[in-house]
Amino acid sequence: MNNFVEAIRFIGRNGQIPGEPPLPTLVHLTLETLKIAGIGIGLAVAIALPIGVWLGHIHRGSFVAINVGNIWRALPSLAVLAIGVAFLGIGLRNVELALIVLAVPPIITNAYVAVDGVEPEIVDAARGMGLTGWEILRDVELPLAIPLIFAGIRTAALFVVSTTTIAALTGYSGSLGDIINNETSYHLPGVLGAAILIALLALAVELVLAAVQRALTPRGLKLGGREDLATVLAPVVTEA
Amino acid sequence: MRKHWKAMAVSIALATLVAACGSSSSSSTSAPSNTTATASTATTSSSSAASQPGAGKPPITIGDKNFTEEYILGNLYAQALKAKGYTVTLKGNIGSSEITWKAMQSGQIQMYPEYTGTYLTAICNDNKPPTSAEQTLSLAKACAEKQGFTMLDQTPFYDSDALAATKKFAQARSLKTIADLKALGHALKLGGAPEFATRYAGLVGLKQAYGINPTFVPLAIGITYKAIDTGQVDVFDAFTTDAQLTSGKYVLLTDPKRVFGFQNVTPVIKKSVLDAEGPAFADTVNKVSSLLTLPAIQKMNAAVALEQQSPAAVAHQFLAANGLA
Amino acid sequence: MIVAAAGGPVIPTFGSGSGSFACERANRLFCPGWVSRNWSSVLWPALVQHIVLTLIAVSIGFVLSMALALVAYRRRWLERPVLIVTSILYTIPSLALFELLEPIPGFGLSRTTAEVALVSYTLLILFRNTLTGLREVPAEVRDAAAGMGMGPTQSLLRVEIPLALPAIIAGLRIATVTVISLATVASLIDNEGLGVPILTAISNEVFKTELIVAGGMAVLLALAADALLVLAQRALTPWTRVKAA
Repeated sequence: MNNFVEAIRFIGRNGQIPGEPPLPTLVHLTLETLKIAGIGIGLAVAIALPIGVWLGHIHRGSFVAINVGNIWRALPSLAVLAIGVAFLGIGLRNVELALIVLAVPPIITNAYVAVDGVEPEIVDAARGMGLTGWEILRDVELPLAIPLIFAGIRTAALFVVSTTTIAALTGYSGSLGDIINNETSYHLPGVLGAAILIALLALAVELVLAAVQRALTPRGLKLGGREDLATVLAPVVTEA
Repeated sequence: MRKHWKAMAVSIALATLVAACGSSSSSSTSAPSNTTATASTATTSSSSAASQPGAGKPPITIGDKNFTEEYILGNLYAQALKAKGYTVTLKGNIGSSEITWKAMQSGQIQMYPEYTGTYLTAICNDNKPPTSAEQTLSLAKACAEKQGFTMLDQTPFYDSDALAATKKFAQARSLKTIADLKALGHALKLGGAPEFATRYAGLVGLKQAYGINPTFVPLAIGITYKAIDTGQVDVFDAFTTDAQLTSGKYVLLTDPKRVFGFQNVTPVIKKSVLDAEGPAFADTVNKVSSLLTLPAIQKMNAAVALEQQSPAAVAHQFLAANGLA
Repeated sequence: MIVAAAGGPVIPTFGSGSGSFACERANRLFCPGWVSRNWSSVLWPALVQHIVLTLIAVSIGFVLSMALALVAYRRRWLERPVLIVTSILYTIPSLALFELLEPIPGFGLSRTTAEVALVSYTLLILFRNTLTGLREVPAEVRDAAAGMGMGPTQSLLRVEIPLALPAIIAGLRIATVTVISLATVASLIDNEGLGVPILTAISNEVFKTELIVAGGMAVLLALAADALLVLAQRALTPWTRVKAA
């Protein structure tokens, strides 16, 4: 498709349009998108992970942890952004708040289920060996919980990256979403180019998190098998 | 188990049926906030339906762009035509000029209200500043007619871009005209819609004509006044018919080189459609246009932008007050 | 009523009789007057359109994914390519997909464009969950069904699909709330749904009441849809109620 070729050229030109005044470069916009998403994910993990892990460890609050996760996952991103604008006005604070609201639920739910679901026999054995509660959490429950915890973080991360681009619709500018929201100036090749970059960005975030997960998973638990593209891209936690 | 399975099969079949029906019907009439509200278009004309000029004429789809004044204009023309018996669909909130023009070219809409100067620069790529409103219209019309479209009478009011600043900012730096901004250099924050940066009747033309070199801050339409009030930008691209300008808080910098051109509104329409709709069509549209003076449009803008009244209701009240509803 | 100078138009006082617009002018967080004035002309139609958009997209997506999953269930080699295609579709930012589909003849600024894009976003989740649900039916159960004399189709209809229902409905829940969320963005293309008041409010001086009410309605719609599907799952799979959360 001609548009696709033009889109690649657009990326190659770093987002400039020949004959037009200088526009924000793709490098700059991509880094900005990464920054916004990074802050959102970072804050969400900092808030949600300790809570989820702790609740799972003491096996309390399952109703809250799981249902809050379910309820919050349903939130429409643009609506959350819009309500945030009404209260906080347009700006980075509002976008980050919306991102945190959207990212916290999958992290909490998965962290809770992961830690709570460690087989009781293993925990009993550890206690029998003389480990304290804190040591059990750190040396036994957390390592076993890593896969499911990271599934939640990866789901949240993909959510955050895609919502960052929607933020442009609510008046916040300074991300790749600006290009997609401005078909008038950039035309289809530009929009397609920005979309490709966002998809690549999401893929990169996924791969980085997958690598971090592999690094944190204890050797004994690594079940081998390389991760294929489909597994890496699909951010769904099957829940029955 | 069999009971549940039957229920599932039936609901899947129903869902498929709904899907098939739903996706085959076109749906361009249901824009909530700027369509003619059905309650308010009960025709009050005394002539019977059969004798109305619009009876039997082919249906037409009118579009409008993506900001308040356009919603009002789209509703004004659509409602006035409907009152005369024409079959009109209003496809509102399409997008910028460029996107709306694409909808015209692809036949999705047959008419829309456009600003003469914007048409000349954004659609015809003619950046030579015209010397009068009449010249702007004739140049734009000639360009449109090359592609099978034409333009009807233009409105008395014009809504051109203008650079605005708060009175305080302007007085502190003695700003009267756009050329005065050159001295403020790159530190000057200029806000506008994203497409402002790449338009000749925008930042491109301003830089060429006045030598200014500000930092551009893209703003969504509608948050510009908030941005200037909070200091996020120093000057911004305002429209001369903005309701907020009547408050006295802002000053407009003069544009002696006429970069922003002349911007009266004219309904652009496909020539073949205009011919098919008959002479009464053009008469009705022109009658509406003739009523749109600057005070009229400013008051309508104020009702929608500041008091959050619906564009459809405001348009209806205006037409009713002037015997066109 | 302002009667202009001779030859000029009559400019009525807009909205006279509707009370004062002090709340709107001050842009307070919630103006009940605005809500009651605009409920039947703006908010309710937007909600109905949103529901219709969602129902159509999820229904079509469900039928397509079910078909794909049933085929991939029997022919395992299909799974990888279908997953890759649907994953790629899922990662395209929604607004970009709408804008890419619009120029195609027959699409344009219409509901068709919105629906095709929305359906694409449901495929990955529904396909993956349906297939996983089917695969997780224990081998012993399938053997028992075969042992009872059921053919492959019978086994599918009477045993495997019902047992896969929890996973299928879990997928439906995610797909539905995803569509509800993306349909707000779709409003830029076909001017329908709750996205219209939300985005109009932002471009109209950031009108807080409209933002909060329309945004709130979208949130409530998503929660209600989610809850309905949970109830549907409980009704359709009573045997899973024994499972602890």
